[in-house]
Parts: sequence; structure tokens; C-alpha cells
Amino acid sequence: MKTFLNYLVLVPTLLLLSACQDVVQIKLDEGSKLYVIDAFVNSLPGKQTIRIVTNDSYFSNREAPPVSGASVLVKDLTANKQYQFIYNSNGNYVYNAGLNDSMAQVNHQYELNVSIDGNTYTSLTIQKRPAGLDSISAELNDGKGGGFGPPRDPYYNCMLWAKDKVGTETDYYWIKTFRNDTLFSGSGDINISIDGTNGPVSDVPVDSTDFTPPITFLGFKNYKFGNTCKVEIHSLTHDAYFFFIQASAQINNGGLFATTPENVKTNIVTPEGVKTKAVGWFNMASVVTKTKVVK
Amino acid sequence: MRLKIFTLLFSCTIGLFAQEKASISGYIKDGKNGESLIGATVSKMGTNIGTYANEYGFFSIALPKGQHVIEVSLIGYQTFTFSIDLQKSISKTFELSEEGKNLDEVVITGEAEDKNVRSVEMSVAKLDIKQINKIPALLGEVDVIRAIQLLPGVTTVGEGASGFNVRGGNIDQNLILLDEAPVYNSSHLFGFFSVFNPDAVKDVKLIKGGIPSHYGGRVSSILDVRMKEGNSKKTTVTGGIGTIFSRVSIEAPIIKDKASFIIAARRSYIDALVKPFLKSTNALKHADFFFYDLTAKFNYRINDKNTVFASGYLGRDVFGASIFSFNWGNATATTRWNHIFNKKLFMNATAFYSNYDYSLAFVANNGQGFKWKSNIINYSAKTDFIHYTNARNTIRFGAQALMYDFLPYNATGTFANGTVKFKADKRYGVEYSAYVGNEQKVTQKFTIEYGLRVSMYTYNGKGKAYYFRDTTPNTAMALADTKTFTPGELIKSYVNPEPRLSMNYVLNKHSSVKASYNRMAQYIQLISNTAASTPLDVYTIASNNLKPLLADQGSLGYFRNFKDNMFETSVEVYYKYLQNQLDYIDNADLFINPTVENQLLQGLGRAYGAEFYVRKSKGKLQGWVSYTLSKTQRLVRGISNDNWFYSRYDRTHVLNSSVNYDITKRWNVSANFVFLTGVPGTFPNAKIQIQNLNIPYNTDGTRNNYRITPYHRLDIGATYAFKKNETRRYKQTIVLSVYNVYNRRNAFSIYFRTKDGEPLQTEAVRYSIIGTFVPAITYNFNF
Repeated sequence: MKTFLNYLVLVPTLLLLSACQDVVQIKLDEGSKLYVIDAFVNSLPGKQTIRIVTNDSYFSNREAPPVSGASVLVKDLTANKQYQFIYNSNGNYVYNAGLNDSMAQVNHQYELNVSIDGNTYTSLTIQKRPAGLDSISAELNDGKGGGFGPPRDPYYNCMLWAKDKVGTETDYYWIKTFRNDTLFSGSGDINISIDGTNGPVSDVPVDSTDFTPPITFLGFKNYKFGNTCKVEIHSLTHDAYFFFIQASAQINNGGLFATTPENVKTNIVTPEGVKTKAVGWFNMASVVTKTKVVK
Repeated sequence: MRLKIFTLLFSCTIGLFAQEKASISGYIKDGKNGESLIGATVSKMGTNIGTYANEYGFFSIALPKGQHVIEVSLIGYQTFTFSIDLQKSISKTFELSEEGKNLDEVVITGEAEDKNVRSVEMSVAKLDIKQINKIPALLGEVDVIRAIQLLPGVTTVGEGASGFNVRGGNIDQNLILLDEAPVYNSSHLFGFFSVFNPDAVKDVKLIKGGIPSHYGGRVSSILDVRMKEGNSKKTTVTGGIGTIFSRVSIEAPIIKDKASFIIAARRSYIDALVKPFLKSTNALKHADFFFYDLTAKFNYRINDKNTVFASGYLGRDVFGASIFSFNWGNATATTRWNHIFNKKLFMNATAFYSNYDYSLAFVANNGQGFKWKSNIINYSAKTDFIHYTNARNTIRFGAQALMYDFLPYNATGTFANGTVKFKADKRYGVEYSAYVGNEQKVTQKFTIEYGLRVSMYTYNGKGKAYYFRDTTPNTAMALADTKTFTPGELIKSYVNPEPRLSMNYVLNKHSSVKASYNRMAQYIQLISNTAASTPLDVYTIASNNLKPLLADQGSLGYFRNFKDNMFETSVEVYYKYLQNQLDYIDNADLFINPTVENQLLQGLGRAYGAEFYVRKSKGKLQGWVSYTLSKTQRLVRGISNDNWFYSRYDRTHVLNSSVNYDITKRWNVSANFVFLTGVPGTFPNAKIQIQNLNIPYNTDGTRNNYRITPYHRLDIGATYAFKKNETRRYKQTIVLSVYNVYNRRNAFSIYFRTKDGEPLQTEAVRYSIIGTFVPAITYNFNF
């Protein structure tokens, strides 16, 4: 939906050739303190990180203030196992599953426990099944056709070839793309999908289909000869998918068709009566990944 | 209790047929082109006995038998005075001639000009097309809706936003009627231009309060646009070449003084103008973006007692490029029959059809993609009777049935291995209404108009009805049950009595006080949670889950004219209370959702304010200044900590002015100045970082806690009328205009983002739709 509206907004802009955006200085109030728990854990082997910080002034322009001294525990309720995350630095708590091991199993239920100053914040989730990832292709673009602006040097675009899982269950995915191991993490880079589509089709089974554009365009990024393009497809719960929808709407909320700003939801439960609330998200993802050297 | 009083008043009016009386009835027309003149006054000279021509130009006045001097008048026309020895009822068509260009030449008796003081109407703004033509307009395009936005009590959330807000009402609370058929989207190109072709429009009337019982269906205002009937005396061609549109209209008699037609067309050609300047590599090189509309009307006066009309409108906006396309449009068709039963009873019967549809498509080169469409169709039949009972009472009564046939969405997704269709069940509703109202001159000084409209709405099969369990506020309600209904089967019904009351007490020749109350019910609402309504927003009708929107409004006003009606002034205060106004849960999923109703919330609204208005409508300098002080708030369970919050379109101070000045016979200059308090916005007081995203957050959870900077703008215009060629009757004008003269970047909104390439730096951005001054030139002709 948002994608369509972005195109729609181009029209009056071009027509009047004058719509404009200026950075302005405004004074904002200071909000009260919140703990922010960023717990996206996945099935990849090696180090897994959960980050705990507090909120910050909107214009602070720094790393969020870290919270150290918390106890961070992920429990596998299905296998009855526990994983203690240990404080490292900058609010990061790390668990190392080892180079060939994973702490995340499909269809297992997990509980997160974060204890700060004697209060335990909790969250429950279930790990969803992975997508099928066939390959990544690279396509040479001569730089002359399409797009806005002047012609440029030839470049490559990468394209994802993946399949949605068979079955009536609806699958939700988060497609993370890297160029030379650097994650595209800008506010316009959230690429999430329902059953391989870009999502106006909510909660309707479209199964065992190929992933469709614009999901497969991987954000139209440019690659040079010899660059690597890496893709990770993380499985999401229904609620985590809508968390990204909401977060994406809040961080790209300009223009004629901006929606009313709202606070993103959280699946972290603050115990009753505790003054400092926690927000954030806990998701356990099944990951499939592929890397392509562009040539 | 209210009903009892109503009945009592009604029975009082019946006993007044004492004296022997006769009536004068007929039509009032423009002598030059045969157009009926809405609102022209017929009165007995030197008294307040009189009547107004109705929406079809018909009037009837009962007078005691004997000698009378009668005046027929309307602003902008020479008053026609005649004396008559009335012994039996007569019927006559009056033709008025326009005033000369030089206003000093005509003696104006002033009967019609104090209509604002004398009439029981309040909270009403009438603009005739000649006035609208003089207002400097964006890109030189004369526009009905943008002209209305210069009136007190009418605002918009910003440039480019569709529709308009009246006294704290949402844009879907205005009933926009084009020859009695509702128009769902009044905008071309979002909100920059309206769908009404000024060359085909005769009369525009906006009713903000004291809405009479013969109108219903929307709670905040009625915008009644009447099309020209077409010149019944001679063939006329009018047209213009502008910066955005070109337009042409032809009107002509079919049988002189009996049958005529008008056909008017417009098309934008910005696409044609822009294309040569686009490089072949530009993605928009192959883009379509244009809009057009076609308006037509035909009328035939069969005999003195019967006139039939047929009118239609067809308009569409099309935008598209290689992989995406949108288009939307309205189509309306109206047929009407005016019948005069006798000197006292006038009838209008109308049948109309209105269709608003919109679609979008996103299709990649390999054929995979997504297509979506939605529409809302209305079928309606109604009758209105006006009974000119006697000199003191005019009774209107009538009934209407309006059917909604509504397709929420029909979408097709095409994938590599097949096609998936998502089609919502159609939804059906019927709105029945009946009304009766009486305008009664109780004494020489006191006039009262009271009425009752009763509306009944049924939500019918065929289709599924969803039932939800109540849950925590501001989260989606869980589905409890689904029931399937057969065609026509009743799912849910609502009945709403809607009492209406307006009063006028004339203090003296120049001033009056007026008061009004109205209750309105509305059975259809727009689902839109964006700052400006998008063309993709879906309407929804009342159902088992959504209650009808109700509004109660009271207004009080003081009207006074100065210097022999040269200056009209008024002060009005209003209070409006709304129930069941739509709002949305956080992260609402409104697009292709069969259970969209559990994403909606219904809450309360209140709006109150004071409107000050001064207008000068005589002399070389004409125009108006208005100032409105107002407040609009909402209360919705689960939003903003259950406190009242400012609505998105709240504007504390609004100053509007529009003036024009005749320098010479050829040159007219005009200017607008507007100042509006900035609209409220929800600003964050913190950010939270999750997965490298800087998400704005408000720890207090309050909505609309800040205001963006004020909006102000000056526009100027000049019209030059070429010397008329006496032999060929060819009239030409050139209109020069500059919109936003002092180049202000008015904020549409302020939003918050992470600076590109600097993941830790967040900033506030002012988004302006028009960031520069916009000059334009338009050439108009008429022959």
C-alpha cells in the first residue's frame, strides 16, 4: 500500500515542480525513561546478540544509552533448555552457540527473561519455518535506460529467487540484504514479505509460489563487478511482521499521505506496577542465506 | 416532547385561510439566456410579504384580492416592478435583465439585497459563478471548491488535500450534490482542482448549519451545486485556454424558450506540455497523467406545468507509468420532472445514479503483479413537494429512497504459477427518508422554519456479516461469529428522527438575530487514516458493527447591514456534537481486509467556534473578510489516554479575505489573503533504536500534541476584458494570476526521519506542497 502511495505522491510533485522538504529546527519535550529490548535472535551459528538500551532524546544524534548489569536469559520451552546472554559492551548481550551450532529450532517456543533492578521483563514467541532460497542473480544495467537523472556508469542489480513454503499456513519473512558484508539498514531498506509477496494480500494463502517483485528486487541496490551480494531470509511471526510494517510507517512518515504517528507495539511484557516500562521486540528466526559474487 | 411541540405548531398553521386570496405563481428567468434564477425575490412593495424562487426558479405567493405593487428582484439584476389588480390567481414567467456594468445607472430598491437579514436561512454561503470567476485562482483555474475554502467555517488540512472541512467536520461529512446526485470525490489531481466545470455551473450554495429538513445524509454541510440549463435564446460557446486545463462549452436552444442543452468539457494537458522536456531515459517519459470531465444537461419545458431535465457528469483522473497506474472517477446521471399541480403545489421528482470507482495496478514486465479496484454505486428516487399554503406558510415535504451498492475491493494477484483473486462481498444498504417542514412567518418580524426528517437505514444481504468480541481498546477485536445472509435479507437497521429548526427575528430594517438547531444522520463514512485523503480511500456503509454518524448542531447569529445594504455583516457562533465518528486502531490494516471493521473505532467529536463576516457587494470594490475562532476535538476510547484531543483539521484562527476592484471597464484586479493556524501534529518526545532503526516515540501517548507553523498566503489576479466587437458579440478576457505571491513555503506537515547516510542523526523535516509562487495566464472567450 505504502509503495503505491509513494508513486502516487510523485505525480503532483512533478506536476507543480515545486513540492519541497526542508530540515527545520524545532524544540521537543523529553520523554520519560523506557528500556528498549532489541531481541532478534536467529538460527545462524556463532554469536547471537540481544541489545538493551534506553530511549533517548529524539535529536540526540548518538548511540542510545546502554543498559548494563541486566540478566538476559532465553529459554527454549519446547526442548527445556536455557541460554544465558552475557554483557559485552554498548548494551549488547551475547550468546555464542559455536561455529557449527544453532540455539534456534523451528517450531520451538521461546521465552525471553530480562531482569533489571530486580524486575523481570518477559516475552514469548515461536520460531516459524524458513523460506526456500534458490539463488541470487546479477543483471548488468548499462545505466542508460530508466530511472531518474542523467545516465551513469554501468552497474549490476541483484535479484532474489526464492520460494514460499507449501501449506495453508501464512509465512512472514524479513529479507536482509548485504553488499560486501554491510547490511543495508536505512529506513527505506526494510524488505518484508507475506508468502513471498509485498503484502497487500494479508492473511490469504498464496502457496509454494516464487517470491514476487518488488520483494525480489532487493531494494534496487547497485553493485560493482566483484562485489558480493548476500541475502538472509529470516522467518517472522505474524506479530513481528506487523511490527516492521508499523516501524516502517513511523520512520518514513512524510508526505501528503502520511498516517497519524503512533507508538510501535511491543511484545515485551512489563510486570504489573513497575514504573520503568520496556518496549522492543523478541523474535526467533529460521534463516536461510546465499551469497553471490557479482560478475 | 419535541414532537408534540412540532405537531402543535403545525396545527396552528392550518387555520389561517381566512381572507379571500389569490396567488401569483410562475418562473423567474434571466432575460438574456433563459436560465432560471434561483433565489430571486418576489414581494409586495413596502412590506415583508414575499417569497423566493426555489431551486428550479419557481415561486408562488398568495395575496389578498385587490391592488398590489409587486417587485421581482435579485442581486445583479434590474428590479422589475409592476402593479396588478389581483382578482384571480395568475401564472406568469418573469424575465429579469442584468444590471449594466456601471452600477450607478440602476436604481436599486434594496429588497433583495437584505435577504441575508430577512431570510430565515443562516450559516449559508451562496456564491454565484460570476463572483467565483473574479477570485484569483491557483494556475488561473477558477474553482468552486477552492472558492468555498475562502468562506468562514470552511478549511482544509493543506494544499493538495482533497475535499474541505466544515465547522470541524471531516471531509466525508459534506454532501456534495451536483444537480441532486452525490459526488463522492470532488477533486481532480488530489485537491488542487475540483470536478465542477465553472462554465457549466450556475449556482453554488453551502449550508453549514440550520440545515432544512429537505436535505439529509451527511452531518456537517450540504454543498448544493446547480448546473446551468443551457441558453434557451441563442447558441453560445464559452471556453478557455489555461495553464493546466483547456475547456469548452456549448449551450444552445433546441426549441427557443422551450428546450435547450449545455455540454461542457475540460481536459488537462500538462502531460502533453511536460513530455517534450523529459529525456527519453526518464521513467515518466511514457507516463500518462491527465484528467478530464464532461458535463451535460438538457431541459425541455413541455408546457406551463411540466418541465423535464436530464443531466450528467463524467470525470476521470488517470496517472500511470510503465509499471504502475491509478485511475479514479465519478459518473452521475440525473433525470428530473418539475410539475405544477396548481398555483400552490409544486413538485419535483428526481431519479439519479452515481458511481464512484477507483483502481490501481502494479504490473511488472513479466506480467506478474497486482490489480485492485473498488466502487460505490448509488441509485435513488425522490420526490419533493412545495406547498405555498398561504402568505405566511410554505410547507415542504417529500421522501427519498437511496440504495448503496458497494464493492470494498476486487483484487487480482498474478504470480508465476497462477492467479489469486481477492474479492470482497458486495455490501448493500438502503437509506429511506421522509420529511416535512414549514417556513412560517409568525409575525411581521418573526419567522420560523421547523421540520422533521426521519431516516431509516437497512443493511442488507446478500453477503457475510461479521460479529466481533469486544476487547482492549485500540486493538483489533477478535472475530466471534460470521453469518451468511440471503439477497435482501435484513442484517441490521437504524432509525433516526432528525429534527430541524431555524428562527429569524428581525430587529429593524437592517438587523436580525437568528438561531438554529439541526440533528443529522449519516450512514456512510470514508475510511482514511492518512493526513490527506488518498484517491484509494474506501468508503464504508453503516453495518451491524458500525453505527451511523450523528451530529447535533446549534447556531446563533446576528446579522446587520450598513449603508443601505452596501455592507453585509454577520457574527455566528456554533456548537456541534458528533457521535460515532470513525477513528482507527494503531497499525490499522485497512487495505484488502474482509474484517476491516475491527480496525475501526467510533468516538465522539465536538466543535465550537465564532465566525465574523463582512462583505461588500456593491460598487467598484467588492469582496469579503472573515475571521473564525474555533476548536475541534475528538474523544476515542483507547486513543490519547482516553482524553479529548485536537482533530487533524483543527485551526484556532482563520482569517480569509478576497477582494476585487474594477479599475476601468476593462481592467479588474483581485486579491486573496488567508491566514490559518497550523494544524496539529503528533510529535515524538523520544526515539527508540531497534534493529538500527531510529523509531520516533511518544512516551506520553498523546495525539496531536504540537502544531505546525501557521499557513498564510497572498494571491493576486488581474482580468483584462478586450473591447467587444459589437457586430460579432465576441467577448474575450485574459486572466493573469500569481498564487502564493510572497513565495512562502507553507508546511503541510512536519515529520521525523533519520538523515540519509548518517544512521545516528535524526532530524525534523518540513514538508511543503507548494514551495514557490505560481504564476499563470488564462485566455477565456465567449461568443
